[in-house]
Amino acid sequence: MGTIKSRRWLIRTVSLAPLAVWLAPTIAELGGSVAQAGSEPTAAVLIAALGLPFLGALVVPLLYRVLGERVAYVAAAVAFACFGLVASQYGAQGVVTIPWIPTLDVSLVLYLDGLSLLIALLASGIGVLIFIYSASYMHDEPGQARYYATLLAFMGSMLGVTLASDLISLFVFWELTSITSFGLIGHYREDASSLYAARKSMLITVSGGLFMLVGFLLLRFVSGEALTNATYTLVGTPDSLIANADAIRAALRDTGLFVPVLGLIAIGAAAKSAQVPLHLWLPNAMEAPTPVSAFLHSATMVKAGVYLIGRVRPLLVGDEWMLLFGTLGLVTMTVTALLAIGASDIKELLAYSTASHLGLITAGFGFANQLGAETGIFHILNHALFKATLFLVAGIVAHEAGTRAIDELGGLRHDLPITAVITAIAALGMAGIPPFNGFYSKELLFEAAYEVAHTDGGLFWLFPIVAVVGSVFTFLYSIRFLWLFVGEKPAGLGEVHSPPALLVAPPAILAALAAVVGIDPQLAVDTIVQSAFGSAVAGEAHTMSVHLPTELKPAVAMSAITIAVGIAVSPFYDRIRDVVRRASHGPLSANWYYDGAVSGLERASAASLPRIQTGYFRTYAIWTLATTSLLALGGYLAAGVSLPAFTGLSIALPVVIVLAVAVVGAAAVGIAPSHVAGVLTLSILGFMIALFYVLSNAPDLALTQLAVETLVLVLFLLVLDKLPAFYGDAPLSRTIRDGVLATGVGATVATTVLVATAASPNDVIAEFLIERAPVPSEHGPLLTDFGGGGNIVNVILVDFRAFDTMGEISVVAMAALSVLTLIAMRGRGESS
Amino acid sequence: MSTPDRDTDTTVIAETVTRVVFPLILLTAIALLFRGHNLPGGGFIAGVLTAAAFALLYVIYGLDFVGDDLLDRSGTSTTAAGPAIVADYRLAFATGLALAIVGGLAAIALGQPFLTQAVVFLEHLPLYEELEVASAFVFDLGVYLVVVGALLTILAVVGAE
Repeated sequence: MGTIKSRRWLIRTVSLAPLAVWLAPTIAELGGSVAQAGSEPTAAVLIAALGLPFLGALVVPLLYRVLGERVAYVAAAVAFACFGLVASQYGAQGVVTIPWIPTLDVSLVLYLDGLSLLIALLASGIGVLIFIYSASYMHDEPGQARYYATLLAFMGSMLGVTLASDLISLFVFWELTSITSFGLIGHYREDASSLYAARKSMLITVSGGLFMLVGFLLLRFVSGEALTNATYTLVGTPDSLIANADAIRAALRDTGLFVPVLGLIAIGAAAKSAQVPLHLWLPNAMEAPTPVSAFLHSATMVKAGVYLIGRVRPLLVGDEWMLLFGTLGLVTMTVTALLAIGASDIKELLAYSTASHLGLITAGFGFANQLGAETGIFHILNHALFKATLFLVAGIVAHEAGTRAIDELGGLRHDLPITAVITAIAALGMAGIPPFNGFYSKELLFEAAYEVAHTDGGLFWLFPIVAVVGSVFTFLYSIRFLWLFVGEKPAGLGEVHSPPALLVAPPAILAALAAVVGIDPQLAVDTIVQSAFGSAVAGEAHTMSVHLPTELKPAVAMSAITIAVGIAVSPFYDRIRDVVRRASHGPLSANWYYDGAVSGLERASAASLPRIQTGYFRTYAIWTLATTSLLALGGYLAAGVSLPAFTGLSIALPVVIVLAVAVVGAAAVGIAPSHVAGVLTLSILGFMIALFYVLSNAPDLALTQLAVETLVLVLFLLVLDKLPAFYGDAPLSRTIRDGVLATGVGATVATTVLVATAASPNDVIAEFLIERAPVPSEHGPLLTDFGGGGNIVNVILVDFRAFDTMGEISVVAMAALSVLTLIAMRGRGESS
Repeated sequence: MSTPDRDTDTTVIAETVTRVVFPLILLTAIALLFRGHNLPGGGFIAGVLTAAAFALLYVIYGLDFVGDDLLDRSGTSTTAAGPAIVADYRLAFATGLALAIVGGLAAIALGQPFLTQAVVFLEHLPLYEELEVASAFVFDLGVYLVVVGALLTILAVVGAE
């Protein structure tokens, strides 16, 4: 017992030590830096904040062997250190540049401003709570080292997304969040539904990211037209895209690329932020352990999409922007709110509600007025606070009540009183009821939608109407979630345990923060929302002012309508739910298309495999050669390469004779009656080529060709009787097919040689080699600048391009090893 | 051409010619290796030529001759697959690869980039007067050993089938 206790004590100190080390300077800096608003961020701090999670991800699996499950607190300490580091840069704004691929003008540029600070603080701050919560929740679960390492890397990737100012690094971190979330969603590897969910989220978000990448590359191309230098830098520097937003927009319109770029970036953001119709991966993602869901749904992953929308908003905002994102957001908000009502599982309800609230944020950013940007930013904060809370509550409920089915739960307030209070704060915020936090951002959405409708009129009146309709459904499912605690306890529900303090503390902290925002929204606005809001508007941002409404404005009326209709409709909740459940099957649901596409792909690959991979060498040769030839010729065609002009024959008679014999040899191979004859005639061709090299003054090539030809001939003769006798009895169709293929390959090679030799760069390397290879006329006893050899070919091989030769001899050695393992050792191994 | 099973039906002429030609080919190969820096030749050609010489032995005298009779390596190797001689071939290409890499690393030790080569001129030698010694020869020797070892490995293993 004694040893165990002392080990525990040691572990506590170990996990707390870094915390204390990080805490002291950060708190000191936090006090000092609030005053220095507008200053440049410190490079080392930002790099440390970005690097720590990844470093932690590397160390955690090792520490797990020592600390066991307590490694969660180490991870929490890392997250807290990141939070402290980011918080210490409060008020700072500017870039930090680290060169990455200088030749391509790609550098890791970190940029910090209000918006990235907000998201980074959310990601790291909620991260701390998630790790603490995980320590209790993941108790005795499998694969914990993997879990904490991936979760840390996930948090780090999200920090990377928010801090990246460069489009390429933004993309890399963006896809990193997809990849790490793949691991987290598929945490329970034995579970088929978990693997299905992981693959779905990976497929959708990563392919969305690729669309976005194309958009980024187009942006870079256009920036070359508009600015003196093409740039990948999105924001921060004077040469960045956003700093020259007007010029870039004009260039985009001139080249006709405005809508494509907007659409491509929107696909990436919509896939990540689960906007209709790409929302389908999010409900499945609830297969992840609940802390992951809470993290993924509130502060990371899905927030990356809306972050990007907010980030590029000053660059692309306009009429098309509003039409696209306003519609996308409001449709998502309404459709997924309906789907949330149809949910049968509390996590499913919350998952759809996440998509719905992300729709609200997208719609907010979509409206081309300042109120819209206010909506988006403020709701990012509010949604993170209440959604993380509710997911953690869902975890507590599942943990203590043993079920997540909505119909089996109720009256939980008796057994979980503290959790009930927490839920009330968060759920009422989600419903948008004053004075809870979600009310204010929803009010802003109504104002923004009303202003758009009022200014533009016509069909734009649909915006406020749809916003209200969507909000009614939001109200309904939020209250339904709250009813798990308020209503009657169903008979089937067994004993509900009391949760441990460490499971309740994280959601309690979040709910307290949500309550503070609800009571004094202006405090949150002044602290962080105002500066983040400034990042999302083009030009000068006005001062935000958020408080409880004191007079009857249209938005207030819309809120009142929402709540009144919500209460009036709530008796029919079950009926709406049944209708939604019936409707969300078959061609009306996005899943139907996803599953169809995936199974279609699987069928197509299963059908094509037996044709491509027959196990016969000739089949592989046909596919490989045909594909290579077609791609090469297609490439020449697409690039518009023209063959060099024919300058007439100027070759001597001996060469003509040698080549004529070679052609005869080649023809003889085709009609050879046996393998031996075929091999011998083939070697006629080879030896003639060697002679041709001799005649062309290339003795090295000739020697090599002769030696190789001899060796190949001997090798062929050695293995000859092992080869199947295909000669002479091939059907006509196969002969024709092989002939066409051979002609195609020959044409490709001939074209390639002609095109390649015709290309002569200005900077001719041959001159350098001729000058540097031999021994110079005057020299000392030691030569390092010159090759010092009369045979330029050899000097190139062993000196100038020695690295290439090194690669080649490695390949030769590898070939020998492969022969050893494949032929001589094939009897060994697992299969025998 | 006769059947591939040459152990039984090679002629006396073929065996005698091979016996005379084999050392000549090896000598030519080594000459090509040494003069490669200044005249046509080099490690790769020399290696292929050496492998061809051994291939000739295989064809005329049979697969077991080189290992069992010529180099006295009978029995089955415990570590490698195929004929026992393959272990030696494997050692050859491993040594060659190591030689090339170590030669390149030596340049790093002297503060030059990886694989930088130099030439030293030795003066006032008996018989030669001046001799040019290129560090690239070490690399070329590595190439030679890799080519010989790898090709003979393939030859022996495939031939043993």
